[in-house]
Amino acid sequence: MSALALAVVLTVAVTLFWRRAHARLEVLRSARPSSRSDQPGARVRRELSHVLGQRKLFQKAAPGVMHAFIFWGFLVLLPTIVEAMLAAIDRDWTLPYLGHVAWFAFLQDLFASLVVVGVAIAFAIRKIQRPDRFRGSHMEEADQILLTILGIVSTLLLWNASRIALGIAGHPAAAPVADALSGLFGGGRGTEVAERVLVWSHLLLVLGFLTYLPRSKHLHIITAAPNVYLAKNHPLGYLEPLRIDLEAADDDVRLGASVATDLSRKQVLDLFSCTECGRCQEVCPAWNTGKALSPKLLIMDLRDQVANEAPLITAGASGVVELQPLVPNAVADQVVWDCVTCGACVRECPVDIEHVDTIIDLRRNLVMAESRFPREAEAMLRGVETSQNPWSQPASARTDWTASVESIRVLQPGDPPPEVLFWVGCAGAFDERAQKTTRSIARLLAAADIDFAILGPRERCTGDPARRMGHEYLFQMLAEANVETLNGAGVTKIVASCAHCFNTLANEYPDYGGRYEVVHHTELLSTLVAEGRLRPDPAGERGSVTYHDACYLGRHNGRYDAPRDVLRAAGAAAVEMPRHGERSFCCGAGGARMWMEETEGTRINDTRFAEAEATGADTVATACPYCFVMLDDAAKAKGSAVRVADVATLLAESTLAEPGR
Amino acid sequence: MAGAAWVFAEVAPDGPHPAALELLTHARSFDEAPAAIALGPGAIAAATELGAYGAATVYASDDPVFAEHPGRPAAHVLAGLIEAEPPEVVLFAQTYDSRDVAGRLQGRIGSSLMGNATSIRDPRHARAEIFGGTKLVDVELAGPAPTLILLRPKSIAAEPTGGTARVVPVEADVPDDVRGARIVERNEEAASGPRLEEAKVVLAGGRGLGGPEAFAILDELANEIGGAAVGASRAAVDAGWVPYSYQIGQTGKTVKPEVYLAAGISGALQHIVGMKGAKRIVAINKDADAPLLAMADLGVVGDLFQVLPALTEEIRRRKGS
Amino acid sequence: MNVVVCAKLVPTGTPTLGPDHLVVRSGVDAALDPGDEYGLELALQLTEQHGGDVRVVSMGPDEAGQAVQRALAMGASRGVLVSDPSLRGADALVTARVLAAAIATAPFDLVVAGVESTDGYTGTVPVTVAEILGIASVTAVRRLEPSDAGARIERMTERGYDVYECPLPAVVTVTAGAVEPRYPSLKGIMQAKQKPVDRPSLHDLGLSDTTATQTVTAVTDAPTKAGGEIVQGDDAVGRIVDLLAEAKVI
Repeated sequence: MSALALAVVLTVAVTLFWRRAHARLEVLRSARPSSRSDQPGARVRRELSHVLGQRKLFQKAAPGVMHAFIFWGFLVLLPTIVEAMLAAIDRDWTLPYLGHVAWFAFLQDLFASLVVVGVAIAFAIRKIQRPDRFRGSHMEEADQILLTILGIVSTLLLWNASRIALGIAGHPAAAPVADALSGLFGGGRGTEVAERVLVWSHLLLVLGFLTYLPRSKHLHIITAAPNVYLAKNHPLGYLEPLRIDLEAADDDVRLGASVATDLSRKQVLDLFSCTECGRCQEVCPAWNTGKALSPKLLIMDLRDQVANEAPLITAGASGVVELQPLVPNAVADQVVWDCVTCGACVRECPVDIEHVDTIIDLRRNLVMAESRFPREAEAMLRGVETSQNPWSQPASARTDWTASVESIRVLQPGDPPPEVLFWVGCAGAFDERAQKTTRSIARLLAAADIDFAILGPRERCTGDPARRMGHEYLFQMLAEANVETLNGAGVTKIVASCAHCFNTLANEYPDYGGRYEVVHHTELLSTLVAEGRLRPDPAGERGSVTYHDACYLGRHNGRYDAPRDVLRAAGAAAVEMPRHGERSFCCGAGGARMWMEETEGTRINDTRFAEAEATGADTVATACPYCFVMLDDAAKAKGSAVRVADVATLLAESTLAEPGR
Repeated sequence: MAGAAWVFAEVAPDGPHPAALELLTHARSFDEAPAAIALGPGAIAAATELGAYGAATVYASDDPVFAEHPGRPAAHVLAGLIEAEPPEVVLFAQTYDSRDVAGRLQGRIGSSLMGNATSIRDPRHARAEIFGGTKLVDVELAGPAPTLILLRPKSIAAEPTGGTARVVPVEADVPDDVRGARIVERNEEAASGPRLEEAKVVLAGGRGLGGPEAFAILDELANEIGGAAVGASRAAVDAGWVPYSYQIGQTGKTVKPEVYLAAGISGALQHIVGMKGAKRIVAINKDADAPLLAMADLGVVGDLFQVLPALTEEIRRRKGS
Repeated sequence: MNVVVCAKLVPTGTPTLGPDHLVVRSGVDAALDPGDEYGLELALQLTEQHGGDVRVVSMGPDEAGQAVQRALAMGASRGVLVSDPSLRGADALVTARVLAAAIATAPFDLVVAGVESTDGYTGTVPVTVAEILGIASVTAVRRLEPSDAGARIERMTERGYDVYECPLPAVVTVTAGAVEPRYPSLKGIMQAKQKPVDRPSLHDLGLSDTTATQTVTAVTDAPTKAGGEIVQGDDAVGRIVDLLAEAKVI
């Protein structure tokens, strides 16, 4: 009888679950294939660290503990579902081996209790602390899920307690909590009924939860693990190429994400893995300065559209389907453009959602297929297209900065390659503030007797601004041209003075046939100091310096120490901003936003500068010309006496007899 | 109709266009007795002043058809006059209106036309400035007489001769099918003046202005110069002193005026991108290290609050005298 | 409304003169003249609102095909490119004759051009084209709408604007800033390659005489204003006024 009842309940639950899960699976199947199978070893290691070890969750202490308890509890208690099913059929049945050992009884008791503690912490966070990251999340759904979890483990504990009271539990002493709870039960006929009620309640809660899963955000318990596995192995700053061949292209060529079926499987899996925790929202520079963009809301809105269109998507697998464009239906145009691609959201996400990649894909469609983007950025795109630099400057002017520096070697076609090619970058060549950095680096390299050269007029924009804007084709043309120049010149090692150039040259050019050893100027300078080839005098009056971690050097590429080592060697007394290192707050120029206007809220660069000023430092040190210009603008707007200078300039001032300007 | 040179004089009820008087002075460098062609209301009255600046003969018609229809009737009548007795050269001012006439005339009679001249030697040799005034080209014109030469306004100072012109009335025989577009309305936007992108002179204010009120100084200077528009750097727009439509730069407007005068603008790259096409750049800044000062054709290290009003006053003074 | 747009390929950097005193057009970065883009945008907006199609016509060296491609990418439906070595150094009259002949190869209601090219600045070719075609013209247009009489046109003046009623067909030149030229999407660029571009010869157009009537006899550097100079003090105002006078703006 009980067996039959169980069979019926099980069948219903599994069928419902499968039907709903299948709908989600079909959407995944209709999505564009992703190729995320490289380096399985790294993927497995990440799986162990992020999933099993809950590493990213612990980036926040209390929520990390809360979730770890619930998650580990879930893992440990999985066998108890089978145990309950067996006992539902026959009260004396239990799991082979596990059902008889004391240590499993102990673990069950411990982890079930920890889950209860976890749920309590969760409620404390949500109801008492009320962090702002939950703004926009579905709170009732979360409450229901937490209560269900509580119900599941409570029924488990009570069920064990009732069995102890009935004297049928194997190792009552190994389960202190259940043992204590057993005092609630008399031990007679009432307890026998209670025991049955509890085991069935437990099972119904579990199976009910199972059917609820596919339609709720709790689906993450199934999708999160594969999502972590499929995350990028590349550094965060890397974007996957979208190859465009104008000759072969036809009307149906995909130019980014327009409708739901343009998203890749990884991107769809991202959408299904979001738990609305809001850690991404909390650190987003746009959201934090009053813009409409919240990475969490972006993912949720995309998810909702994909979910709503799921029946259309699966039906249309065999024909033409009229899907709504993702922008502006799910996500407003402005939200897509608000992003500075700083990656803070990706860094925080416990389930390794890659928000930035999806935003770039949306931009690709807006720019390349629809030509719908903030008009102010057009001048930059035209400049990059026609003059190979965002400011439409003549290529011959790329060597103007060398006028006041002695003997800079400009690599001519046919020359033997230098030991290091100094990639100056467009800002470094044309922007009068960034030129100071360029000259400092050149003088330092010369002082250290480094054999270096610049490409001069043959250097073209790396294409980073175009790519971050979504103009993948323009980027592709530049990448191919630059690689041809570099390979033709036999370049093997490059030092870049801009964090964006660095990221693109190091991580993205290999896809276009350009494989070089690429270092950022702070790394090279740090090495030279360590080797004694540069001897800064730390005794000078440096004052206190706070270093602003550039997103494309720090968070995107994990380089935090070299700039700090250089500053220390230069004799600066370092003071850190609250948001530094991996948690650094963007200057506001990334994602091609350098060429767009901020119209809402407060300015990102002003916000960051205020943070820097509040440290009391005399100088803000930067390692990227974008950061330099943004923070310097902010300093000027405020009339602040704080100096903004690049790490290289500060080193030059304490190293060279004539650091120059 | 003796004489090698004809001058196409734009006229209006309030007198001849100043450029017409300059053209007469240009013509007199090789023709003692140039003729002027004046077509439209006010032509006959204008003959007095045209004569006072050197025209020996003025062919005039007051017919309103020339004011109601741009270019075409004037070109038609001019072609007729030329056909009767062709001069060596017809001089035009390089203005929108005169250009329309000259261009049409070229199509009709197949003459050689040269634009942007700044000086003329004889009917077949003139000089122009190109590439932002950095190069001078000497041009020789071939083809049938007359040649058509367009001269830049203000390329010469008009010299009065105190003479009198003989007025020859011209029949405005303009058939319907050569009238073309007809003017139905005139609008004068006294306050706004030319748009930034089209203005010959752009005055731009930056952070150094300190606040929105200081833009009134630039407005006054713009009025005094005439045909000038006022813009701003990003810093001034960001600070909320002027609307975004004023912004000149990478993410704002690009301007290519004859003269760009920047006050209180340091010259960040993103701003320079929007104005580097200017033929002449003047920068006023109290910071001697401002990049724009080094880039300018004329850099003034000084207090804009003193320089600008003084400049307005000086221009007013020179115009008066 | 069938519209023809005149497009010119111009160097993007500062133009240079070759040994023959003609502007170097080969081997330099070049693009569709930004002034023509305003005309093209106006034309596209008109046909989008009122039907019809946009044809782009260009005269120049082989590379002028780039200007045609750009116009097609922005939305024009077909192109006509007249390219003949004998046209090198063509003056305004020859250019106008060639353009007029190319325009006349198909019916049209309106011809649109920029006010003046950014490398020549003469600004008379469009009205010469109008005269050769025997049609009306209005220059310095900032707004145009079809009307019963043909088109209602707003023309910029120094003090504001005048309104004209103009019979069609006509030639108009459009001022900078009158409209916002669209940025061609990659899709547009791809589709442009499929659009037809006619390449009539001078013979096809019935033209034989292409001799220019002007020659540049000498090119000299203008007396340099010493690069740039920096002044301060009482001199300053006088120097500024001198500069303004030299620039002929006062």
